[in-house]
Amino acid sequence: MNHASEPQNVDNPGEVNTGKHWRRLAPVALLYFIASNIKSTVQSALYIIPALAISVQTTSVIDTQWFWPAVCAIIALIVISGIVSYLFYQFRVRNSHVEIRTGLFNRRHINLPFWRIQNVKVERPFYYRPTQFAVVVLDTAGSAKEEAKIVAVTQRYANRLRAQILNERTEFLQNEESAEAREPVEDTESVSQSPGQDTVINRRSLSDLVIHGITNNRVWIILGALAPFYDDLAGMVSDWLSRHGLQLEQLVGSSSVTWWQWGLYAFTIMMLIMALMALLSIGGSLLTYYGYTLTRSDDRYVRKSGLLSQQEVSMRQSRVQMVAVKQDWLDRVLKRANVFFEQNKTGNQQNQELMAPNKLLVPSVTLPEAGALCEEVLPDSRLFSQTFSPVTPFYLAHHLLVRLFPVAVIVALILILEQQWQALSVAVTAAVVVSIAIWLRYKRWGVARDDNYIYVRSGIIGEDFQVFPLYKVQQVVIKQSVMMKRRQLASIKFVLASGSVTVPFLKEVQVRQLANLALADVERSARSWM
Amino acid sequence: MTENDSSAVAAFENREVDVKTLPDMMAVSMQPISPRYRWLNLTVAVAAVVIVSAILSFFRYQSFMAVPFGLERFYTMAIVVVCTLGALSFIYHLLADKKIKYCLREQDLVMQHGLIFRKIACQPILRIQHIELKRGPLDRVADLACLQVFSAGGAMHTFEIPGLRLTDAQKVRQYILNHKELDAK
Repeated sequence: MNHASEPQNVDNPGEVNTGKHWRRLAPVALLYFIASNIKSTVQSALYIIPALAISVQTTSVIDTQWFWPAVCAIIALIVISGIVSYLFYQFRVRNSHVEIRTGLFNRRHINLPFWRIQNVKVERPFYYRPTQFAVVVLDTAGSAKEEAKIVAVTQRYANRLRAQILNERTEFLQNEESAEAREPVEDTESVSQSPGQDTVINRRSLSDLVIHGITNNRVWIILGALAPFYDDLAGMVSDWLSRHGLQLEQLVGSSSVTWWQWGLYAFTIMMLIMALMALLSIGGSLLTYYGYTLTRSDDRYVRKSGLLSQQEVSMRQSRVQMVAVKQDWLDRVLKRANVFFEQNKTGNQQNQELMAPNKLLVPSVTLPEAGALCEEVLPDSRLFSQTFSPVTPFYLAHHLLVRLFPVAVIVALILILEQQWQALSVAVTAAVVVSIAIWLRYKRWGVARDDNYIYVRSGIIGEDFQVFPLYKVQQVVIKQSVMMKRRQLASIKFVLASGSVTVPFLKEVQVRQLANLALADVERSARSWM
Repeated sequence: MTENDSSAVAAFENREVDVKTLPDMMAVSMQPISPRYRWLNLTVAVAAVVIVSAILSFFRYQSFMAVPFGLERFYTMAIVVVCTLGALSFIYHLLADKKIKYCLREQDLVMQHGLIFRKIACQPILRIQHIELKRGPLDRVADLACLQVFSAGGAMHTFEIPGLRLTDAQKVRQYILNHKELDAK
């Protein structure tokens, strides 16, 4: 082990290897550890602040004898844990691998090959400014939480390391997919191709967007924009009503209005709100998707749309992990569907589906168009000419008998004992509706495969499809309960970089076939998923 | 990569695959993880019950200060809850830890676990993004390590084999690292 605290004594230009010995960080890293401790403490303390504020008001916490010792203890803890993190942090870079060892109690040993690193960031927090040091953040496709950091190296070394990693990655990509020039690891999605080769794949007309507005609730776009004005709006509405002789407060409290009049009022207001929502939704749809064009330039798909500000989203074809065709009941009535090109997601984004940055949406296309789009992105895929093999009836049995039935019986028994007949009838209706939904879903579930793709169909009233190439599978998981094993059944989950796809209650033979086929395709073809 | 035009035709050639002759991920011979893992978990379950009960009993029967809010009324209930949870955890580990098995194949890692729901997961080595060896304080006492393998599938699908002997874990890691160098470059 090398106790020299200087990681930067590799001064051969272009040389990034630190050799066999583990290295400590420069002492300035202490600042970083302490700062990040403070940050996480403050973040977790945010929840306590209200409680603290109240206790400060009611009792005089600051005056108690233990307050200042407690504050000191917390500060001491932060500093000590920073020092410990520093002392127990070691790294080395060799053979095109970054290795990091951290932790006092929980020892972690991270091993990161250069060519698996998706992105390298060199950060300089403000307290590093006076020094020559920088933080290297290594981003793998894992998740945002799992990124690795080399906390304090000289800026020169950081830049060399970055150059080396990016270099190696480009080399790796080139080796992997025959000879084809490409840019060194892209930073942000930007389009820099010659515009001459652009071909328009899809356009959405005004009527398409109106349909999209009706079938997909886009009210939130407008509601979000109006948020600052809610109070004023509420004031305006009640003013307007009172000018027309309607006092909301009076109306609610008055006994002169009978229940059916009330019902009528409520109904009318509901209808008005619904109509308004639909209009707003169409407005929202037009706002975001006006002039929608999907073009292909070289290996990129570019989406341009927007009424006021034009957005441009681009996605490389090789990045598309899966194509999803989604259709809910209203879409089904109008024979439309939304098509999503899904690429890998980084971190735990909790985004509304229609706006998720890792998805490229083609709104409300007709079914033949959906098939064509799917074939465009995933060559040779034949979505609509597949015969889907259904899931076994045990799916139905499981959900109806094991899941729904016990709950329904318990609720029913309680309601009967309490003699709540009205509630009982509601519960029974609900159970029937849920059963029908389960049955419909059972009818929809299905899986099909051809030589290159797996197709999964699901949905209740509308039909949803998911299509992905076998070789882009990241991991395969087979699940089987004791009962399922006895009946030779299993569920299968394909983990893709864009999320996972599950098909429940298939025959075990079928599951084995699918799993082995996907694995063989991944391992035999050795093609990159990016 | 691009799949357009000529390269796409070549890439999507129609090979014939005889599915029956493919290696079967459910039929591999699995090897168990270290039996120490189970012992460790059982010991932890017992120790946790003993320690928590001791702390509770101490507060119940000490005479330095009054227990606030009359919490001593809940003493028996708390002990019962602690013991039940401890017993459940004990029984679970007694039965379930034996079921954790893994297998390292030439091209992938297979792991099986689960008591009532058996889960078999298969992680192709080619799709591994990075590897991590994790060792908590108790793991280190027992000379165990937890091997975590990250793919692009996200944090939800981290492939994790717990309770490996340290030497085994290191060997598996080395195998994976070597494998990629052979294969990917």
